[in-house]
Order: sequence, then structure tokens, then C-alpha cells
Amino acid sequence: MNTTESTTKPVPSRLSRVRGSVSDFFLMLYRVYAFIIRFFKEVLLPPYDLKEIVRQCYETGVRSFTLITLTGFIVGVIFTKQSRPSLTSFGATSWLPSLVSIAIMKALAPLVTALIAAGKVGSSIGAELGSMRVTEQIDAMEVSGTKPFKFLVCTRVIATTITIPLLATYVAFIALLGGYLNVSANEGTTYVTFMEQAFEPLTFVDFWASLSKAIVFGFTIGIVGCYQGFNADKGTEGVGKAANGAVVTAMFLVFIEEVLIVQIAGWFR
Amino acid sequence: MDSAERRRSIIVGVFVLLGVAVFVIGILTLGGQNKSFVKSIKISSVFTDVAGLKKGNNVWFSGVKVGTIKAVRFTGNSQVDVDMSIDAATQQYIHRNAVAHISSDGLIGNKIIVIDGGSPQAPIVQDGDVLQAAKLLSTDDIMATLQKNNENLLAITTDFKTLGHQILAGKGTVGALLADSTMAMQLRAAMRNLQVTTAVAWQMAAQLNTFGQKMNTKGGLADKLLTDTVAYARIQQAIAKLNESANNATILTNNLNKASNKLNTTDNILGVLLNDPAGAKKVQATIDQLQQSSVKLNDDLEAVQHNFLLRGFFKKREKAKQDSLKAKI
Repeated sequence: MNTTESTTKPVPSRLSRVRGSVSDFFLMLYRVYAFIIRFFKEVLLPPYDLKEIVRQCYETGVRSFTLITLTGFIVGVIFTKQSRPSLTSFGATSWLPSLVSIAIMKALAPLVTALIAAGKVGSSIGAELGSMRVTEQIDAMEVSGTKPFKFLVCTRVIATTITIPLLATYVAFIALLGGYLNVSANEGTTYVTFMEQAFEPLTFVDFWASLSKAIVFGFTIGIVGCYQGFNADKGTEGVGKAANGAVVTAMFLVFIEEVLIVQIAGWFR
Repeated sequence: MDSAERRRSIIVGVFVLLGVAVFVIGILTLGGQNKSFVKSIKISSVFTDVAGLKKGNNVWFSGVKVGTIKAVRFTGNSQVDVDMSIDAATQQYIHRNAVAHISSDGLIGNKIIVIDGGSPQAPIVQDGDVLQAAKLLSTDDIMATLQKNNENLLAITTDFKTLGHQILAGKGTVGALLADSTMAMQLRAAMRNLQVTTAVAWQMAAQLNTFGQKMNTKGGLADKLLTDTVAYARIQQAIAKLNESANNATILTNNLNKASNKLNTTDNILGVLLNDPAGAKKVQATIDQLQQSSVKLNDDLEAVQHNFLLRGFFKKREKAKQDSLKAKI
């Protein structure tokens, strides 16, 4: 018997590789689905670990507040500043408050918040749970009778679902404030006039659509981060992959959800 | 609960509370803008074309936002029923005969409904009333009118172009005026004359004005003529006499005319003297002969005075004459 032939593994064909990838994809979908279903099952059942939820709210919300506020302010100022020349060419600078508010309230506030939270919070959750998984802390918790899913996943997902809409609200307010400062400096518009004009083109549908988006984005960032961390493997490399996967997948899903919710909101207009 | 955990809980509580507060303020502000939290009445209007009006658009009355569109739906024969929610505080100002029409917020802004008109005699609009809808002047109508204006403008500019060419070529009065310097100078002179005439006319008007004022002066001639009945009667008499004199003058003139006519004929002595040269020569000859005869007669009479028969008579008359002169002295 030839030694070389006996040690060489059979090379899978292209078709079988594609089949394997598709199978893996559907398997992953099933796992995600099962993970989400498990979340809803466990989140509704007592006990409710409020202390951990508050702690996670502090970690995901309060700790992100400065970064989010600064980003929101910059977004407001820059967007207003960049929009002015186009409106000036039409002699319509008086429409700046309306334009800024439409852009911020309908799209930028939840989206910017979600993207920053995906980067900061999502990666943090993914890395934290991933390191717990690879260091077998989660296994230890299961052995000790503590429900790791409820304690680690449910609290974090609830926290992100609560804090990201709140952060989006802050971002909207701060971005409008940034826009106001820019408009006030250039056009001398008063705060009351600016806010009246800013809210003039908005409807409750816009408000609820933005709130819904922020809630869905928060849930997505939390659940993706937890999923990636909870299912991390391959040692320390898995931690990095979990953190990276949490950010990339969360951002991708945020954009898809943005498109879907805009479409759904359009039906109510 | 340790102090760190307590502190963290408080911060999270403040964070959530502030976030909720900002959100609620936003909701209230939006509600205030959309009049969502004020008491309102519902009125409607039926349009044939709403030009893209949609739920949530504003309703204006006399330029003030008084409500929003609540529903837009088809009704009847492809007509559009528009429900409006109107702020109850403004209800008292809107009357049933007010008219609703579609307009836009700015040149390219959102479509709005504008309510205007309405007389105080008509009753105040009530919940559920239907306002009369005015026909919308569509963009197509405006464009059609603009197109017509463009065509007219083109025709006018074409005419002006032709006119301009003709003027430049020196055709017509204006062209000649522009091209011919003499005519321009004449026109300038005429204008100067006109200016002078105007000044004179102005002076005349001023004088007439003064004259008129004098005429109106109390106690003046005109005033007396108009008010003094005695003077008027005298003037009437004078006029009658003048009239009579004029008649006499006419008769006299006629007589003179006749006499002068006769003087032009040769059937009378004067006419012969004036018009017949031969007769005139004869008369001249006769006068000459008479003159010669009178000279001779003078000589004869001189001779008679010295005749002895008559000498005594002439001496006595001379003496009497001398005596009368002495007596006077």
C-alpha cells in the first residue's frame, strides 16, 4: 500500500463545499432562531434579576452616554453645516431646521446610536461572554445551578433594548441642539422658532417609527452580541471572533432592519 | 446593596428618567404642533382634485394654522372627501359660508387646505359641517396661462424687433427723428417754444385767476353789475340808446353810401367834377374866366369910384366910417 495515498485526505468537490456552506448557514439560522426563542422563554419566567439588569443598563447606557452625546452633537452640527450650501443655492435656508429634524428624527438618531452601540456595546458583550465561554465560566455556572442564559443573556438584551432607545432620544435632542447652534450662529434663529420649525414636518408616525427602530436595534445588538459570545469557541481566538462577529453582524442587521422598518412605517403614513 | 451599586442604580434611574422626559417632551411638542391634545371639531369638504393632499397636512384659516387633515378618501363620482380637525378655539371665527380650497405651504411646500371668506351673518361652523370647496387652480392651468403669456411676449418682442430695425434704418417718424439731426433740432426748438408758451399760459392763468378774484370782490364793477338793479337799468337804457344811435348811424352810413355812389356817377355836377376830366377842364376854364372877369370888374369898379357922378357917395361913406371909429375911441 502506498503511504502517500493512505495519508492524503479526499479533496471535497466544489458542489459538496457549497452544499456544506448552505447547510452551515441554515444550521446557524436555526441556532439563532432557537437562541431568540430561548431568550423569550426565559425572559418571561421568574426570577427577574433586576440588579443585574440595572448594572447592564449602567454598562451599556450610562457608559456610552458621553460618546453618544458627543457623536450626536457632531452629527447635528456637521449635517446642518453640510446641508446649508445646497439650501442656500435655492434661497431656502429657512428650511434648515425642518431638513435637519427630518434627517435626525427619521433616520440619523436611531441609526447613529445603533452603529456606535454595535461597536461599543455589541463588541463588549461578545468579548465578555466569549471569554466567559472559553474560560468555561458559563459551564461552571450551569454546573453550579445558576442559569447562565438568564443571568448573562437576558439581562444584557433587556438592558440594550431599554438603553439604546433612550440613547437614541438623547442623540436626537443633542443633534437638534447642535443643528440649532449652527443655524443660530449663521441665521440668528431663536431656539423656540428653530424647534417649532423642526417639529413642523414631523408626525407621530415618524416618532413611533424611530422609537420602534431604536428598540429593534437595541434588541438586535444585544442578542447578536450575546449569541456570538455565548457560542464562542476555539480559545482566545474565539473571543476576538465573537467580538468582531458581534459588531459586523449587528451593523449588517441594523441596516436591514432600518430598510424594513422604513417600509413598514410607510404603510402607516 | 453596597454604595457603589446604589450609586450605579441612581445614575441609571436618572439616565432613564431623563431619556423618558426628553421623549415625552418631544411627544408633547409634536402633539402641540399637530393640535393633537386640544379640543377640536371635525368638518369636511369635498373636492374634485386634492393635488396630493394627505393625512396630517395643515389647515389654515386667514393665514393661521387651525387644524390638520384627518382623512382623505374617495366618495361619490370620483370626488375626494377630506376630513379636517379644527381647533375648537377657532370655531367661532369660521362661518358656514366659508370656502375651502387647496393651496401649498410655500412655492414647493406641502399641500394645505386654506379656509377663507365667510360672512358674519352666516352661522358659525359646527361639528360635522361640510364646507363648500373651491376649484383648484392646477399647475397645468398655471402652465397653460404661462404658455399663452410666453406666446404673447414672443409676439411683442418680435414686433419690437421689427420696430427697432425700422427705427435704426431711419424709417418712420421716430426713425427720422433719431436719424435726422435737423428734425431733432426743430423738435427741440418746438419743445422750447412749447415751454415758453406753457410759461405764458401759466402767467395768463395766474392773471385770469387774479382777474376772477377781482371780479368776485365785493363792491367791484362786476359785483355791482350783478347786484345793483339801478345801475343795471341805466346800462340797459344806455344800451338802448346806443342801439338807436347805431341804427341812426346805419341810416347815415346808408345815405353817405348813396351820396358816394352818386359821386361816382357823371349825371350830377359833383360827379362830373370828380369823375369827368373833360367836364373838370371846362369848369376849370370857366373859373379861370371868372377870375379874369372879376379882375377886370375890380378895375372897372375902381374906375367908377373915381367917376365924378359917384365920387361924392364914396367920400361920404369914408367920412362916416372915420366918425364911427372916433366915437368908439
